[in-house]
Amino acid sequence: MKTSRTATQARHGHSKTHCLKILRRLSAYLDNDLAPGVCEEIRKHLGPCPNCEVFVSSLRRTVDLCRHVDTPPLTSTAKARLRSQILRAAGRP
Amino acid sequence: MNTRTQRPQRQDSTGGTAPNGDRDTAAFDRLYRDHVDRIFRFAQRLCGQADDAKDLVQNTFLNAYRGLKHFRGDAQPSTWLYTIASRACIRMRRKRKGEPERQLSLDEFIPTSEGEFRLQIPAEGLTPEEALANKELRGALQQAIRKLPEKYRLVLVLRDMEDMPAKEVGAIMGLNERAVKSRLHRARLFVRKELSAREFGQPAGAAGPATPSRRLIPARPRD
Repeated sequence: MKTSRTATQARHGHSKTHCLKILRRLSAYLDNDLAPGVCEEIRKHLGPCPNCEVFVSSLRRTVDLCRHVDTPPLTSTAKARLRSQILRAAGRP
Repeated sequence: MNTRTQRPQRQDSTGGTAPNGDRDTAAFDRLYRDHVDRIFRFAQRLCGQADDAKDLVQNTFLNAYRGLKHFRGDAQPSTWLYTIASRACIRMRRKRKGEPERQLSLDEFIPTSEGEFRLQIPAEGLTPEEALANKELRGALQQAIRKLPEKYRLVLVLRDMEDMPAKEVGAIMGLNERAVKSRLHRARLFVRKELSAREFGQPAGAAGPATPSRRLIPARPRD
């Protein structure tokens, strides 16, 4: 266990605990919702840490995909039918 | 919800001379005309299925019709409708499932190995539009969103799909901004995990023996 932790540290130059601390703040980072100093700290971490770099890029990708999901609109006929159903249910002719 | 605006009913040109019922219907028609497309889009994103979305739209506008008299204009009509739709969505789900909602713990999304850190979303390198042109990826994304427990799904849809500020999402859901952001982060991590665990054409868990770069991230116990 000790050897494995040391090996990870050797590859990344920092402990995994630091990565986890970063991961907990990534949504706030992506939304520009952190103080400039904290953003800078995360940016500095991402460069030399390929794991966190890939993680943040996949999270950013997830948010981008969500933002671009398109939905088909209601047709005029469906809109009129829904309106009639609502008014009927409300007791209006 | 502090912005005081006019009641939709007061904006109606028939006010004053028409009987109450006609005035109500005219106010309703105005509200329906201005907001039905937006609420249907919201409902589709929440429900994933057009028929369920229509049920939610019907439910929302029926409640809006009944509540129109009491709508004091403390919120924008659209925010009011989103609030009604969100509550209706939660009610409809409870009716269907009748079980308490699962809480998402942050720990279950924290990678425990380098392979898990490196899980990527399929179709890397394409624009979001190009990636979503792929039916399977689109389906996987919608399925991942549908699998989210309701209170997380509502926050993700309102914030990331309807593009609302966290404060407005909080007003709709009766949460403070901190709680909105916490739920949003968990919801995004959930969707990321679901998508990164899939290959095109191979649903999660059906791809044979898991490889280190493609296996599902195991859940860890909560704090």
